[in-house]
Amino acid sequence: MNYIESMITDGLAFGLPLFIMALGGIFSEKSGVTNLAVEGFQGFGAFVGAFLATVLSLKTPLGSQIILYLAIAAAFLGGALYASLHALLCIRFDADQVISGVVINILGVALTTFLTSQINGFLFGNASNKFILDSSFRFSVPLLSNIPILGAVFRNIYPFEILILILGLYFWYLMYKTRFGMHLRASGENPHALDSAGGNVRRTRFLSVMLSGGLSGIGGMCIAYSLLLQYSPSIYLGYGYLAIAAMIFGNWNIVPTFFVCIFFGLARAGGYQLCLFMKLSSRYTDLFMTIPYILTLVLLVFFSKRSHPPRAAGQPYDKGER
Amino acid sequence: MPPRGKTLEGGRRKGKTPRGFRALFARILVSDRFGHLTVPLFCILLTLFFSGILLLLLGKNPLVSFYSFLQGSGFAKKASYGNGVGMLSDFFAFLNICAPMLLAALAFIFGYRSGLFNIGIAGQMLLSGFLATIWVGYSDLPGILARPLVLLIGMGVGALLGGCVGFLKYRFNIHEVVSTIMINYIISYVTGFYINSRYVNQISRSSNVCSGASRLTFTKVNIAGYSCSVPLGIGIAVLAALIVQFILKRTVFGFEVRAVGSNRNAALYSGVSVGRQMVLSMMISGLLAGLAGVSYYLGYTNTIIPRELCSMGYDSIATALLGSSSPIGAVFASVLITIFQNGASYMSSTVGVAREIASVITGVLLLFSACGGYFRKRAEDYLKKLEDEEGGEKA
Repeated sequence: MNYIESMITDGLAFGLPLFIMALGGIFSEKSGVTNLAVEGFQGFGAFVGAFLATVLSLKTPLGSQIILYLAIAAAFLGGALYASLHALLCIRFDADQVISGVVINILGVALTTFLTSQINGFLFGNASNKFILDSSFRFSVPLLSNIPILGAVFRNIYPFEILILILGLYFWYLMYKTRFGMHLRASGENPHALDSAGGNVRRTRFLSVMLSGGLSGIGGMCIAYSLLLQYSPSIYLGYGYLAIAAMIFGNWNIVPTFFVCIFFGLARAGGYQLCLFMKLSSRYTDLFMTIPYILTLVLLVFFSKRSHPPRAAGQPYDKGER
Repeated sequence: MPPRGKTLEGGRRKGKTPRGFRALFARILVSDRFGHLTVPLFCILLTLFFSGILLLLLGKNPLVSFYSFLQGSGFAKKASYGNGVGMLSDFFAFLNICAPMLLAALAFIFGYRSGLFNIGIAGQMLLSGFLATIWVGYSDLPGILARPLVLLIGMGVGALLGGCVGFLKYRFNIHEVVSTIMINYIISYVTGFYINSRYVNQISRSSNVCSGASRLTFTKVNIAGYSCSVPLGIGIAVLAALIVQFILKRTVFGFEVRAVGSNRNAALYSGVSVGRQMVLSMMISGLLAGLAGVSYYLGYTNTIIPRELCSMGYDSIATALLGSSSPIGAVFASVLITIFQNGASYMSSTVGVAREIASVITGVLLLFSACGGYFRKRAEDYLKKLEDEEGGEKA
C-alpha cells in the first residue's frame, strides 16, 4: 500500500512539471510554430533560475522559500528570453522549424554547460558544472491527506505543484476565452484569415513562442528542484521530448494533455516503486526508467494516426501566398 | 569588381549587372556555381567573428585560441611534444575522431535528403557499437575475421534500427524526431544496464576494452619515427561519402529519394512508392550511423561509458547542415567541426578557457547555418531591387 501511495505522490511531482512543459509546447504549436525546442527551453530556464537561486542564497539572507518562487519567476523569464531565439529563427529568418528546434536544443546544452562552469569558477573558484539547490519544502493538506490511498494526492505537495495548476487554469482561459487566444489559434490554423481580420500573425506567433519558452522554463526549474536537487547537464534527460509526445497524444488540447502527463508521471513513479517492491538492486532502475519512453512509443502507435496538428504548423507565414 | 560580361551568375541574368562591393558580395552568395560554397563560408566567418568576441570578453586572445585549436588537431606545430609523438600523431588522432563524425553526418544527410530527420544517430551508434563490442570485441577471433564482422554488425544493426523508425513513420505516422529520441533513451538505459551488470571495468567505470584484433584503429604504428594510431574508419568514411554522392546524384533510387524529400505529394503522384522509399532511406541512414558507431566505439574510444549518448550524434547534424547537406560538403565540414572538438583540450590547457567552449562554437555555427537560406534570400532580394532600380533609370 505504501508503494502505491508514494507512486501517486512522486507521479504528481513529475507529471505536473511535465504538463507545464507540454503546455509550453501547445502554445507554440497552436500558433503555428513547430516546437521541438522544449528540451532546450526547459534547460535554459532552469539554468537561469538555478543561477539566481545560487546567487541569492550566497549574497542575501532570503529564506529558501522566497528563493524558490524567485527562481521559478527567473526560469520563466530565462526560458522566454531563450525562446525568442527560436522565434527569431523561425519567424524572422524563415529557418526550417524542425532544424531550428534541434539547433536550439544543441546550443542550449552547450551554452548552459559552458556558462555554468564559467560562473562556478567565478563565484566559488572551482569550475564544477552544477548549481546545488536547497531542497524545496513540501506540505500536506490536513484532513484530506488522511484518506487512505487517494490521500496521497494531498500529501507531501511541492509548492510548485499548486502554482502549475493555477497557471494551467489561467493559460487554458487565455487560450480559449480571450482575444489573444483566438488570434493564437487562428495563426496556427489559418494565418491568412487572421491577417485579413486585422491581426498580426508574426507578432502573435512571436509572443506565443516566448510564452512557450517561459512555461517550459518553469517546468525545467521544477524538475531541477524535485528530481535532481541541483542544476547540472543531467537536466537534459529528454523530458522535453516526453512533453512533446504528451502533447501529441493530447491532440494539442490542454485538458487531455494534462491527463496524459499525469499518466506518464504515474507510470514513471510506478516503475520505480515496482523496482523497490521487488527488492531488485539499484542497477535495475535503469531498466524501469525506460518505461515512460516505451509507453510513449506504444501509445504513439495507437494515437498518431488520428492526431490533428494545427494546420499551419511548420510553415513560415508568407503574406503573398494564398 | 568583376569584369563586365563575365558575371558569377553564369549569364543567367541578362543585361548590365549591378556593381559595387555589396552587389558583388550578394552575387557571390546567390551564385549557382559557388553558392553552396560561399554561404557556408559566410556562416563560418560569422561564427569565428562571434566566438572571437566571446573569447575577447573572457579576456583571451582569439587568434591564439583559434591557432591552438589547429595545434591540438595536428594542423600546426605545438610548442613541445612528448617522446615519440609529433604533429603526425596528432593528425592521425584527429582523423580517428573525424571518421565517425563524417559517417554520422552522412547518415543525417541521407535521411535529410529524403525529408526525414534522423535525430537517433546517437542511439544507432551506441547500439551497434555495443553489440559489436560484446559479440566480436570480447571474442578471440583473428583480426582478418573480426574487423569485417564488426563492420557488418554495425551496418546491420544500424539499418534495422533505422528501418524500424522509417516503418513507424510510414505505417503509423509517428514523427521520426519523437520516435528516434525515445529509442535513443531506451537504448541508452538498456545498454547501460547490461554494461553495468556484466561488462563493467571496476576501475574505469566503463565497459571492458575490446580486443586489439577487432579494433578498427591500428595503434602504435610507426610512421616517420612517430607513433601513430591509424584509423581504418577514415578510409571507409571517405569512400562512403563518394558512394552516397554517387547514389544521390546518379542513380534512379537517389533521384527518387530526393523527389520524396523535396515534395512528397508530387513524388507520390509521379509514381514513386513513398513508403518504401522512406523505409529504405532510413535504413541507409541507420546503416551509415551504425558504421559511425563501430568506428567510434571500436576505433576511437575502444570502450563504452554506460548510459551516455555521445554528443557526436547531435554534432553531426551541425556538420551536415554546414556542408549544405551534400556528402562532399560534409567532408570539409566534418574536418572543420572536428578541429574545434578535438583541439578543445589542447586549447583549454594552453589558453585556459573551459573546453566546453568548443560545443558553444559548434552551436553558434549551427545557428548561422540554419539561417543560410535566409542569407541567400536576402542577397537575392537585394540584387533584384538593384536591378529594378537600374531598369527604372534606363527607362
